[in-house]
Amino acid sequence: MNVLRFSKLVFGSATVFFLIAPLIAILPLAFTDSVFLNYPIPGYSTRWFEELFTASVWQRSIVNSLIIGCGTTLLATVLGTVGALGLRDRQLSLVLTTVKTIFLLPMVVPAVVLGVGMQLMFARYGLTNTYLGVIIAHTVVAVPFVVVNVLAVLQGIDRRLEQAAASLGAAPVTVLKQVTLPLALPGIVSGAVFAFATSLDEVVLTLFVAGPNQRTLARQMFSTIRENISPAIAAAAFVFIVGTVLIAVVLNLSRRTMAAKI
Amino acid sequence: MSNPFIRLEEVSKSFGLLTVVEGLNLEIGKGEFISLLGPSGSGKTTILMMLAGFEHPTSGAIWAGGKRIDSLPPHRRNMGVVFQNYALFPHMTVSENVAFPLKMRGLPRAEVTERVGRALDMVQLGSLAERRPSQLSGGQQQRVALARALIFEPEVVLMDEPLGALDKQLREQMQLDIRDLHRRIELTIVFVTHDQSEALTMSDRIAIFNRGKIEQIGKPSEIYDHPSTQFVAEFIGETNLIHGSVQSIEGGTARVQLPGGQEVFVETTTNLCPNGSVCLSIRPERIKVGRREVASNKITAAISDVVYHGDHLRLVARSDGQALVIKTDRSQPTLSIGEEVQLSFLPSDCWVVRP
Amino acid sequence: MSPIGLRKQLISLVLVGPLLLFLIFFFAFPLVTMMKSAVSDPVAARALPATARAVASWDRVSPPTDAIMAAFVTDIRQINDDQLFGDLVRRLNSAKSGFRTLMTKTRTTLSEGTGSIDLIAVDKRWGDPSYWQAVSVAASSTITDRNLLAAVDLQRDTSNAITALPADASANRAIMLRTFVMALTVTVACVLIGLPFAMIAASVDGWKRQLLLGAVLLPLWTSLLVRTAAWFILLQDTGLINSVLMQLGVTSGPVPLIFNRAGVIIAMTHVLLPFMVLPIFSVLIGIPKNLMPAAASLGAHPVRAFLNVLLPLTLRGVVSGSLLVFMSALGYYITPALIGGAKDQMISSVIAYYATGAANWGMAGALGLVLLAATMILYAIYLRLSSEREVRP
Repeated sequence: MNVLRFSKLVFGSATVFFLIAPLIAILPLAFTDSVFLNYPIPGYSTRWFEELFTASVWQRSIVNSLIIGCGTTLLATVLGTVGALGLRDRQLSLVLTTVKTIFLLPMVVPAVVLGVGMQLMFARYGLTNTYLGVIIAHTVVAVPFVVVNVLAVLQGIDRRLEQAAASLGAAPVTVLKQVTLPLALPGIVSGAVFAFATSLDEVVLTLFVAGPNQRTLARQMFSTIRENISPAIAAAAFVFIVGTVLIAVVLNLSRRTMAAKI
Repeated sequence: MSNPFIRLEEVSKSFGLLTVVEGLNLEIGKGEFISLLGPSGSGKTTILMMLAGFEHPTSGAIWAGGKRIDSLPPHRRNMGVVFQNYALFPHMTVSENVAFPLKMRGLPRAEVTERVGRALDMVQLGSLAERRPSQLSGGQQQRVALARALIFEPEVVLMDEPLGALDKQLREQMQLDIRDLHRRIELTIVFVTHDQSEALTMSDRIAIFNRGKIEQIGKPSEIYDHPSTQFVAEFIGETNLIHGSVQSIEGGTARVQLPGGQEVFVETTTNLCPNGSVCLSIRPERIKVGRREVASNKITAAISDVVYHGDHLRLVARSDGQALVIKTDRSQPTLSIGEEVQLSFLPSDCWVVRP
Repeated sequence: MSPIGLRKQLISLVLVGPLLLFLIFFFAFPLVTMMKSAVSDPVAARALPATARAVASWDRVSPPTDAIMAAFVTDIRQINDDQLFGDLVRRLNSAKSGFRTLMTKTRTTLSEGTGSIDLIAVDKRWGDPSYWQAVSVAASSTITDRNLLAAVDLQRDTSNAITALPADASANRAIMLRTFVMALTVTVACVLIGLPFAMIAASVDGWKRQLLLGAVLLPLWTSLLVRTAAWFILLQDTGLINSVLMQLGVTSGPVPLIFNRAGVIIAMTHVLLPFMVLPIFSVLIGIPKNLMPAAASLGAHPVRAFLNVLLPLTLRGVVSGSLLVFMSALGYYITPALIGGAKDQMISSVIAYYATGAANWGMAGALGLVLLAATMILYAIYLRLSSEREVRP
């Protein structure tokens, strides 16, 4: 093996290691039975998982995350899908191009800046310390992902299918229902998954907008790391990582079966 | 045409600065099979799209069945459309695809099932009713598309190069099937194609398009035997174009001198001016080759190439700098390259074409 | 535009309408509120209306008139809202320290009586014109540039000229510089690791490419918090990295990797690396495979071919990725907050502190405005670059 191939191999492996190892290294720590997060692991137990799912502070935060996550997913998916439908032309007017840029801006603006503004404004309208406020805040940063995903799929739909439906007597709304949306479903689903993941992961905005009763899992993890680190963090990280891998695998498989059907 | 079924009146279509169709006037009779033939970019698909309602004319009007339809949305035009790539709904089964137009019209489910069954049987796809389009072959998808476009009994069917993706044998079979269908049902068919032999075999009339305008419209035989322009002559079938100057005109026959001095007689109804230059079109199969003359027009030429085509021979002969292609059957005695021969043809075999 | 085209535009606008309104209300509006708070300052004007009117004609050089003092007394007596008073005190105190005790004392004394009163007798600081100057400045404007100036460590002195803040109050510029340097370091690290990695990924195919891409995409999919938490655990003195290093005998004692700059850089590089790899990779696979062989056939030595053909083409992707990484790193909060020490806090932490810790919305807004402006400029450049790429064939 010549020098180039060897160095490619070494560098590539080292970087892969750098990228993946931290995620893998943390997994076994979820099963430690000590209060400390060190290697070598003295003994194994599932006590931290129990703590995660039974301690009231963690339980509440999990429930909150689920409530807020579902609310965000619903709101973001609906708004994002309808918005993407308006942007699907290949040649967009200046107005619509500007609108598209605005739709994607929440991904770019630093969360702290948005958080400050939201806290100020939400306070004025009584939205702080409410589930609705947190859901709205999460939706703002989740909706760009929905738009991107749905738009990508929409632009891949053959317009002639919609023309065919119209020629066969389907009114525009019927075309949407019978042809466009079913074919756009993979994009809508992956957008919804992204929205849920974004909400689950959201810490900064939650810091500013949520009250103690809307503490999400991510918010709770943040405080725990900061204040009194406990292996429950590792257990939560384990759940996150395994969940992510599962969802990625499921999405991949379902995309392949959906593509095979179509 | 008295009482045309479809009429396009001064229809133009531009996309931005690009004019695709210009000042088009076209009348189509009820039950007629008309082909819109032309190279890609000539505007024929755009015209079909305007008939279907997917594009709107920049100016002009479209009439169908006595009513003006250019502002009618596509889902109310009641025309069957067969698309180039079939446009079958991938997320529905074959029977759901075919049932779609009936569902849109609100027919009761029992009737829908019955009619779908009949339609699929008619195209011999009854056994594939529950399959998805992706599981069918190209030919099968084509038939489903056809069944879907006909099941709601439209009066007009628009076809946009529907046979383009099929292999030769299947294509020829489908051409016969569609022609047969047209004879059985009184259906007005507007058929877009770039394949001239397809247009010749299937149509009652052909409209030849070039850059957004109709160059010639007429029966297939008219277009083939009497092309009006150079473009039409070259687009339909093969032809030889020779240039010459008019020496004299007597009755319906003109005497044309070719560069190099040889003269031929042409039957023509066009107004030709003496000493004006003309372009003549002669079909390769009309030229007889021999060592002696056999008809009243003869050109001396030298064979420059002989190509074997299985059921016929193709000869290339040169005369005074012009090359002529001749199609002849194999009963011809073998000719060698460089041999001098007489090419003969009747005055009615050549035709004056506009540039 | 034809009526059909107009109708289509209208339908598109109706479809994008709901999301647009949502974002205008809950995205644009908060940002505007933040920007307004950076420059707004209505507290003193609201709390001291009579004083505001009285100082309008004061030149701020000669001693304050009795009218001014009387107006002030009236205003103070009329403040019933404790919150407003607290805000007022904070406002005045941030202009000149000492106001807190002064105002509390003054208010208590004034509330005991109702007649006119000599303020200087209440507290002799009221004889110091600088206090009155502060009150005057505060009361006479609803917008102020105080916060914006303070954001870059500047202030207006008593003659209203712009000068530097005293050294012990000037931390912002240092923090902004620090943020900039850290973001730059992370970007450079990402280029050094990400560019070769993307090139390797583009040069192999099949399962190897899937593996390399998967290694980049999996962290991207994983929650940011989880990744940061993983690094938090691993970088500890007793964490895995140090244990391994000590086991292997590389070091005798634990290397401090957490709560310092090194740890933050490592963690942020790990988190942001995918944003560098993916743009470069997508540019690379767009390059025709036969370009390098063509260069070789024309006589170019592999290194020269690389420098003259491949690298310039790759540059687009590198610049794109760098902008993306730099932009994100500037605004990062979670990772530096958890992994960094006190000296590693970036501008985002300062903003958060001002907002939730000190309730100084003015400063939070001002610093936020600076960060937002920097991010938007970078984003505009990034958009320009990526749209240029689409125009070229």
